[in-house]
Amino acid sequence: MMSGEELMHKMQFKGYDINVFGFHIPISDSIIIMWIVMAVLIVLSIIFTRNLRLVPTGKQNVAEVIVEFVNNLTKGSLGHYWKPFAPYFGTLLLFLVFSNIISIFNIIPSGKGIAELTGLSFLEHFPEIAPPTKDFNVAAALAVMSIFLVLFAAIKYKGVKGWLKSFLEPIPVLLPFKILEYFIRPMSLTLRLFGNILAAFTIMELIYFAVPIVVPSFLSIYFDLFDGGLQAYIFVFLTLLYVGEAIE
Amino acid sequence: MEGTGVIAFAASLAVLTGLGAGIGIAYATSKATEAISRQPEAAGKITTLALTGLALTEATAIYGLLIAILLFTKI
Repeated sequence: MMSGEELMHKMQFKGYDINVFGFHIPISDSIIIMWIVMAVLIVLSIIFTRNLRLVPTGKQNVAEVIVEFVNNLTKGSLGHYWKPFAPYFGTLLLFLVFSNIISIFNIIPSGKGIAELTGLSFLEHFPEIAPPTKDFNVAAALAVMSIFLVLFAAIKYKGVKGWLKSFLEPIPVLLPFKILEYFIRPMSLTLRLFGNILAAFTIMELIYFAVPIVVPSFLSIYFDLFDGGLQAYIFVFLTLLYVGEAIE
Repeated sequence: MEGTGVIAFAASLAVLTGLGAGIGIAYATSKATEAISRQPEAAGKITTLALTGLALTEATAIYGLLIAILLFTKI
């Protein structure tokens, strides 16, 4: 039976420690996975937007579908203010989708496996491919970014005065709750993303342990692909909703 | 360790919050479907509201899971 300790080990975060010019920089697993996701996204963006033509062909169609989807999503909730926000939400959506579903690639032997195959000892600590958003810190950072976006958007489109006035609307009695909203919203965003992804990851680990063949492939479609995509969409959608509420 | 069984039982009780969230999500989704089939032109607005409600309902289950994980680390 898989012991609790083994499961905890899978849920914790190890990683490299780098010493540069006397500074001690710890680099966790989720950061390494995020670097991979970023590299993949950057390379794909460059490949998909090369040789843009007026009449789209081949890969340009795919890029246009994605951009169109993001534009329509932001237009739907932000009205005619959508333009400055669309790139941020597009990036957020792509990053979250890629990082949430990355665990379908965990067939790649990681850490010790690679080190044994290649004989390179520094690869031994290479992390197992797992979604970085199952790390509380990653989810929290994204949620804090979202709430700062809401704050700046409100101040930019309403002015400082209008923003302060919005705390007293519709009735001044709600002031404490309006202030609390700025702390509760990032917390609930964080917990929703991190909780869902961690739960899906844990369940998949248990399934891999219990029935290692056939069954995980079907359940992976739900837990990795569907759940990951849905949570990415919900995160972006709720942020859009908060921004829309702040600037209207 | 002492009291491991009690902690495990408490963790399993915390996960029972999923029950409420499940019922809530099922109810909200059925109502949203009903509303859309009655008034298909309002589908966009209903979907927005339904998704917000679902996300908020689901939060209770996530909090239960969080408590369970926190208890789990004590074992």
